Amino acid sequence: MNFPYVEYTWLGYGTVIAIIAIIHVIISHGVAIGTSVLTVSLEYRAFKTENEKLDELAKTMAKWVLIITTTVGAMTGVGIWFSTTVIQPDSIGALLRIFFWAWVTEWIVFITEVVILIIYYYTWDSWKSPEKKKKHINLGISLSVASWLTMAIITGVLAAKLTPGKWIDTFSFWNAFLNPTYLPSLGFRMFLAMMLAIVVVAFLLRLFVKDLSLREEAFKVFGVWGAISLPMTFILGLWYLWSIPEQAYDMIVWSTGMTENTFKIINGLAFLILIVFLVWLIRSPKTVPIILSLAVFGASIGFIGEFEVVRESIRKPFIIYDYMYANGLLYQNQEKINEEGYLAHSTWIMEKEITEENKVEVGREVFAGQCLSCHTIDGWREKRALGKRLVGWDEEALKTYIPTMHNVRVAMPPFMGTEEELDALVAYLKKEIDEVNGVKEVSQSE
Amino acid sequence: MNNLPISPDNVLPIPAPIGLLEFLIILTFIMHILFVNLTISLSAGAVGLEITGRIKNNSLLDKMAQSCSFHASVHKSIAVVLGVAPLLIISVIYTQYFYSSTILIGKMWLNVIVLLIIAFLLLYVYKFMWGKWQEKKVLHISVGFVAMLILLFIPLIFIVNITSMIYPERWIDVRGFFASLFYYPEIWQRYLHFILASLASGGFYMFLYYSYKSWKGNNLKDYEQTLKLFGAKVAFWVTVLQLVAGFILLFSFKTDVRILFLGEDLLLTTLLVLSIVLTIVLCIFLFLAGYKDSFKSFTVSLAIFVLIVGIMGWMRHEVRESYLSPYLEKYPRTEQLSIQSDDIG
Ligand code: HEC
Repeated sequence: MNFPYVEYTWLGYGTVIAIIAIIHVIISHGVAIGTSVLTVSLEYRAFKTENEKLDELAKTMAKWVLIITTTVGAMTGVGIWFSTTVIQPDSIGALLRIFFWAWVTEWIVFITEVVILIIYYYTWDSWKSPEKKKKHINLGISLSVASWLTMAIITGVLAAKLTPGKWIDTFSFWNAFLNPTYLPSLGFRMFLAMMLAIVVVAFLLRLFVKDLSLREEAFKVFGVWGAISLPMTFILGLWYLWSIPEQAYDMIVWSTGMTENTFKIINGLAFLILIVFLVWLIRSPKTVPIILSLAVFGASIGFIGEFEVVRESIRKPFIIYDYMYANGLLYQNQEKINEEGYLAHSTWIMEKEITEENKVEVGREVFAGQCLSCHTIDGWREKRALGKRLVGWDEEALKTYIPTMHNVRVAMPPFMGTEEELDALVAYLKKEIDEVNGVKEVSQSE
Repeated sequence: MNNLPISPDNVLPIPAPIGLLEFLIILTFIMHILFVNLTISLSAGAVGLEITGRIKNNSLLDKMAQSCSFHASVHKSIAVVLGVAPLLIISVIYTQYFYSSTILIGKMWLNVIVLLIIAFLLLYVYKFMWGKWQEKKVLHISVGFVAMLILLFIPLIFIVNITSMIYPERWIDVRGFFASLFYYPEIWQRYLHFILASLASGGFYMFLYYSYKSWKGNNLKDYEQTLKLFGAKVAFWVTVLQLVAGFILLFSFKTDVRILFLGEDLLLTTLLVLSIVLTIVLCIFLFLAGYKDSFKSFTVSLAIFVLIVGIMGWMRHEVRESYLSPYLEKYPRTEQLSIQSDDIG
């Protein structure tokens, strides 16, 4: 363990990261990119058709884009970084070094995006003459381009975690950035962003805009974008699926926690609803039922959540594929640690000798260093909460299981350490298992 | 110093010459912190003016407050985005220190996200509801007040982090934010220095903004003219206080570092003296601004301000380097790629 650790005993590491990441994806994709595009599209149409009301509507949307992206959007973006620093320091440390200049570029684009957004909103009323309005629309277009660029950069980093490609051998920036899933995942994400925005904004307009003809105008524009985006999301999604490693591919269904059939039915249904919604939007924009827009709204948010969870999970046992395991240990160091011991390589474990007295304590630290990234003792995800899951396992069973666990459950990295360290881990686990279940018995008898 | 929990550096090399990165961190941090200063002081200023305006039943003060709140809400967005670069660089060149100090206050560190989201959303409510909530003043003031409290609290989290990162020999004993708050030396002195700097920058900003506006040929409205002079006055008095607060901070440093600024190190001593002299000069300009305002004094004071801020940012970096220098030697950073890595990343 190179660093100290914090514990999220109930949530678990994965959930903390997932909450922040999912909120951020919804906003960065759906609001910053998708809604910006829709907003300028509406503004443009309002300009062409001299529709004052539509222009007002676009302005209201711009205001919400401003409010949401500069608060929840920006802070959850920084938040992903904050949370990975606290929870996965080795991995974010490596990523920052590999992609440093990408991040610097991203930073410049990000500043540009926010500054344009501020100007775009606050000049809406003062740039009114046709000349100025054209300029304003162009500003909106550059806003969309800037938001897209931030995605184009950060996707390189995200994709490299799953498919670092040649980087593993060359350690070259461009090999890492232009990795095998970069293009498909970028394409997939950008059209997904459009779909998400269409669905979310349509739902809100359906709720809050009472003027039927205004809503119709807006929905027509959404319909055009939808007709492009839905097929593209589908096609690029397939390309993306094809380009991920086989071992990861096999974990997709598993990582959602559903059975194969449920997975197919749920995702198929969601896709079907989307098609129905889109056709309705195009054929009869005035009569889109509120129930339908609610359903696609839910389906899309669900899909984004699923996408994030899957993307994070199928990388297991790695956090940077073939290079670093989810617990921060390097793939190449396994033999060395088995020989020299995990304690010898853990700055933050103060005990370097294992004795009968400190055995459980050391075990706790080994657990924190090697298992906490995916497990809790008593957290809400019962499958990952070892205290609950391992009821009835005795020390012998644990001791034979752990050294082979990565073969039994391929999502797990191998245990790294000496015989004594394994003993310590087992002693700690046994104590926790007893405690969790001891507590349970007491509370049941009460 | 043998058993300090300073980890070996990440095996991947630091992706640029360290000197360049040090330059960039000073530069980008200054830009970031300036906007942070403005966000905090203008929010506090807005709330303060609004409350005074209500007590005195003075609509001029209310207008001044509204102007502050508008600027605060724009600057907060820029403050956040500008913060990304220094955070990136500190993570890359001080990985061994900054990560540990961050994780030691890990939960509070993550709370920053939630707290800032709340504060920023409140700032929008505060700004956009100014007109609509004229009849609900108490509610409106409370919204601004809560945002202000959060904004005044957040810097403490950052200060604890960057103070703790230069004290690796103290890491073992204390964990968690609140414990650290009263454990590491210098924290409250840094906080005082920072808050005063914020207030001074906020006042100075308002002075500059409206000077610029009138110089561009706009006739300043009553409240704008008042706010401009009020800004200069705040900047002046706070900066006078800052001269004291600066010394309090200097004397809270550990002796080895303090004496560097007091003659031991020529560069640092020069920087310190220069910053004090410039600050006094700036004070004179600010004082005079109350009596006559010319465009010349505007540009000169702006130039001096930029210089002072630059020197402050540079000194701040040198303080950290001085604290860390013994460790930096003993626990080297990875500057070159070694494919045959022999330590754990
Ligand atoms: C990369 C994430 C990850 C890490 C790190 C990890 N595990 Fe697991 N572990 C899993 C997953 C995923 C499962 C399967 C959960 C499920 O069935 O859904 C699992 C299951 C288990 C089980 C139950 C096995 C069974 O067959 O019922 C045990 C025991 C276990 N892990 C122990 C450990 C120990 C001990 C460590 C640390 C040395 C560890 N794990 C580290 C992801 C991880």
